[in-house]
Amino acid sequence: MSKRMRGDPGRWGLFVLGLSLLGFLVIFSTAIFRPSSPSVSTASDYPVKVPLGLVDPEVPQENPMTAAKIELGRQLYFDKRLSVDDTVSCATCHDPKKGFADSEKVGIGIQGKLGNRNSPTSLNAALYDLQFWDGRAPSLEEQAKGPIVNPVEMGMPSLDTLAEKLKKIPEYQKAFGEVFEGKMTADNIVKAIAAYERTLLAGDSPFDRYLYGKEENAISPAAKRGLEVFREKGRCVTCHEILSSYALFTDNKFHNVGVGMDKPSPDLGRFLATKEDKDVGAFKTPNLRSVALTAPYMHDGSEATLESVVELYNKGGVPNRHLDGGIRPLNLTEQEKKDLVDFMKSLTSPEVEKIGAPSPSK
Amino acid sequence: MRKKSAPFTLLAMLAVGLIAFSFAAFGNPSPEVKSLGSVPCGEEMRGVASEGRVFKLCDGETKVAVQVADSERTGRMSREAAQQVAARLMEEWAKMKQAKSPEAPIVLAHKGEPHTRREMRTWDTELDGAVKEGYRIFHDSSLGTNGISCDMCHPDGKDTHPYTYPKFQTQLKKVALLRDMINWCIENPLEGQKLSDEDSKMKAVEMYILWSNKGEVAVPGKH
Amino acid sequence: MERKFSRREFLEVSAQGAAAAGLASLLDGFGWSGPQSAEAGPEAQPFTFAYISDAHLYEKKLNKRFVRSIEKTVADVNALDPQPDFVLFGGDLAQLGQKGELDLGKEILDGVRAKRVMMVGEHDWYLDMGEHWRELFGPDTYSFDHKGIHCVVLNSVIVEDYWTAPKLSPMERMKAMAQLDNPNGRPFTVGEAQREWLNKDLSAVPLERPIIVFSHSPLYKYYKNWNFWTDDAEQVQAILAPFQRVTVVHAHTHQVLTNRIGTIRFHGVLSTAWPWPYAHKGLPRFTAQQDRADPFDQFDGCGWGTVEVLANGGVNKNYNLWGRKPTKVSYEWLSTVNEATLPDPYEVGPHY
Repeated sequence: MSKRMRGDPGRWGLFVLGLSLLGFLVIFSTAIFRPSSPSVSTASDYPVKVPLGLVDPEVPQENPMTAAKIELGRQLYFDKRLSVDDTVSCATCHDPKKGFADSEKVGIGIQGKLGNRNSPTSLNAALYDLQFWDGRAPSLEEQAKGPIVNPVEMGMPSLDTLAEKLKKIPEYQKAFGEVFEGKMTADNIVKAIAAYERTLLAGDSPFDRYLYGKEENAISPAAKRGLEVFREKGRCVTCHEILSSYALFTDNKFHNVGVGMDKPSPDLGRFLATKEDKDVGAFKTPNLRSVALTAPYMHDGSEATLESVVELYNKGGVPNRHLDGGIRPLNLTEQEKKDLVDFMKSLTSPEVEKIGAPSPSK
Repeated sequence: MRKKSAPFTLLAMLAVGLIAFSFAAFGNPSPEVKSLGSVPCGEEMRGVASEGRVFKLCDGETKVAVQVADSERTGRMSREAAQQVAARLMEEWAKMKQAKSPEAPIVLAHKGEPHTRREMRTWDTELDGAVKEGYRIFHDSSLGTNGISCDMCHPDGKDTHPYTYPKFQTQLKKVALLRDMINWCIENPLEGQKLSDEDSKMKAVEMYILWSNKGEVAVPGKH
Repeated sequence: MERKFSRREFLEVSAQGAAAAGLASLLDGFGWSGPQSAEAGPEAQPFTFAYISDAHLYEKKLNKRFVRSIEKTVADVNALDPQPDFVLFGGDLAQLGQKGELDLGKEILDGVRAKRVMMVGEHDWYLDMGEHWRELFGPDTYSFDHKGIHCVVLNSVIVEDYWTAPKLSPMERMKAMAQLDNPNGRPFTVGEAQREWLNKDLSAVPLERPIIVFSHSPLYKYYKNWNFWTDDAEQVQAILAPFQRVTVVHAHTHQVLTNRIGTIRFHGVLSTAWPWPYAHKGLPRFTAQQDRADPFDQFDGCGWGTVEVLANGGVNKNYNLWGRKPTKVSYEWLSTVNEATLPDPYEVGPHY
C-alpha cells in the first residue's frame, strides 16, 4: 500500500470516483433514453394487427401503444372494481360474448339502474372520429371517463376516487409502475383502457373476404344481392360507407332518422352536444360490423331485429321536423329486404369473443 | 298592277321574317369585326378604338388582333359573333404568316393541308347540333319523373365541375367519372331511371356539360 | 368610427328566434353600445318576421320533394317561440303558375300560424298574367305600416312583352319565363307604372320613417343572364335613396346574398325547393359565400329565415339553412364595414 499524500485520492478515492461516474452515466443515460411521454414514440411501437377490410386506428401521440399498456387496459376493462360497488365493469355492457355490446335495450348499471341509451359495441370504436351516440367525446380516452362516473352506470363519485381505490391494489401498483412509472392518475387509467380498445378491431368477415379478399364464394348469393341493395336501392351505403379499399360502415356523421322523435321528450342526440338546430334528434352512424351480434338496435334499443330495422328505413324513418334530407321511403320488395338482412349477417367477424384476447405466443 | 307588287310584298315579308327570326334565334345581330393588323408579341396593338372588345392571337412571335364593336364589355357573345371573331382571327393570322414567309406553307391541318371553310363549317354544325341536343335534354324534365330538370340546380351547366373528374365522389363513395354523377342525379333528385353509358341522351348531356365548361383547366381529383 | 372587423366576426351562429335583447348583449360583447349608437334613427318598435320563399310547387302527384320541403318549413316556422309578427312569402309559390299548384301552395301556407304577407314571383305570374294569384292572394303591389316601419310589396318581375308577336301559348310563355338561363329572356323590371305608384306611395311617408321593400327580383344588378337583375334598379333606388333607413328583402336568387348600395341594404332569402350556385361574376362583396350544396342532402342549401327589425328600423338578417349552422348578417356590420376592405369574392370564395 503506497503512502497516501494529502490531496491524493488514493485507491479508495479512485474507486469512489469511478463508482460515482458510473452512477452518473447510468442516471444520465436513463434520463436521455427512457421513452418520454409526449412527442417521441410512434404508434408502431406496438404493431396493431389490422384485419382484412379495415384501416389502422389513429393513435394519439400522447398515448402510444405498448404490450404492457394494452394488457393493463384489458385488466381494467374487465375489472368490476372500477364501479363503486364492485359489480359493473366495462365488459358488463360491452361483453365480448355479446359482440362487445349487450342484449339490453339500454345499458344496465350498478344496482340494476337503467341507462338512457343502447350500449354501442367496443368493436372498431377506435375507428370513429367521435365517441358516444352524440359524439360528445373526442377520443376513446375521453369516452372511458364517462361511464366510470355516471351514476346509473359505474357510479364512482369521481375519477380521482377510482385512482385512489386502485392505488390500494398491489397488482395495479405493479402494472402502473411498469407502464406509467407508478403514476396512477385518472388520465392514465383511461389511456390504458383506450390502448386496449384500439386492439378491438373486427374485420375479416365473410363480406371482407368476398369484397377485399376476392373470394367469390365467401358469401351467399342472397348476401351478394343484399350488398347490391345496400349500395343502390337501399341507399344504405351513403351513411354506412363501403369504399374500394376498406369499409368502415360509417360516415362519422350524425343523422336524424326519426327514431324516438314521436315519443314525448325524445332524446335530442347530437343537439345536446352542439346546441345546433340541425342536430336535433341526430345520432352518429354506427358501424355495422358484426351487427348480427349486437341486437337490439338504434340509440334507444327500440328495434329488436335487423328485419325491423330494415322496415324502419323502408318506410322512410319516422317523420319529424328534423328528418335527414337523405332519408326517404325505399319501396323495397320482400326479397330485397330479406337479402339485405342476409348481407348484414355476413358482416360478422370470426371468433369475435377472442378479439383483443392476449395472444398465446406472448 | 297587282301582279307586279305581289311577289315584291312576298319577298319583303320573307326578308322581314328572316331578320326577325334571326333576331329571335340568334340574339344579338352579328357585330362588326374589324382587323387591327399585326405587331410583334409584347408590343401594344395599334389603332384600338375606345368602344368594343379586343381579341388577340399570338403565335409566340407575332400578335394579330381583331376588335368587335360590341356594346357588352364582358360576358358571353352570341355563338355567331364568337365564330366570326375566331374565323377572322385565323384569317388574319394566316395572311400575316403568308406575308412573312410566302414560300413556307401554312401548316394548319393534318397532312399539311389547311382546313377548308367547308370542313370548318361541318365541324361547327355537327358540334353545334350535338351540344344543342344536350342543351335540350339538360333543360327538359323528361329525364326524371317529378318535373325537375338539370338546369334547375345547374343553370348554364354551372356547378357541375366536369374538369375535376375522375375524383372520389362523396355521394357515390367511389372514384367516379362525370357520367356516374349524371346518373346519380337522374336517379335521385330527378327520380328517374339511370341511363346506360351507350345512351345517346347520356352522351348528349355530357357534351353539353363539357362544352358549357369550356376553358376550365382540367384538375382531375380536385375535391 | 371605422374598425376593421372580419366578416366572420359578425356572422354568428344564432339560435332560432334570437330576440333584440339577445342582440344587445351580443353587441355589448363587441364593444358597441347597441343599435342606438349608429346613425340616429326614429324610434320604431323592434319586431321579428319570418320568411318562406321560392317553393316552386308542382302538384303532389308529380313531385313530392318540393311539397316535403315547404311543409318542413311551415313546421319550422310554426315551432318558433315567440311567433313572428308575420310571415313573408317571397314569391314563386308555384313552379308553372298552374291553378293546381297555386291552390296546393295556399293550402299548405294556410297552415302557418302567424299572419301572412304574400309576394308574387315570375313562376306564379306568367301562365295567366297573375289572374289566379290575385284571386287567391289579392293585389300584387301594396304597402302597409307595421310598428313604425313602412313596408312596400312590389311585383318586380315585369318583363317586356316578347310573347305576343311570336304568338306563344300561355304555357310556352310560362316555360320561357321559368327557365332561369333562357338566353332569349328579358330582364325583370319594376316598370314605369309601379315606379310612379311607389313614388306616390312614398310621398306620404316622412323621410325618417324606416322602409322595408319586399321584392322578388333583387332591385340591383348582379347577373343578367339569370335575371338576378332588375333593369330599372337605378331608378327604383333613386326613389328610395332619400329615405334614412331602407332595406330591401328580395327572393329569386335561392342563396345567401347580401349587398349595400349607398344607404340601401339588400338581403336575399333562401328557397325551400333548391339552391342556386353563385354566378361567376357580379357577386357583391358583402356576401359571405356558402360552400356548394351537397346534392345528396335534398335540403342542403335550402331553408327559410327570420328578419329582426331593430328599434332604428335596420334589420338583422338570419338564414336558417337546413343541415348547416344558421348564418346571420347584422345591421351593425353591414352598415359600418368599409367595402374597400372586403376581398373580391372571386378570389377568396369557393369556386362555383
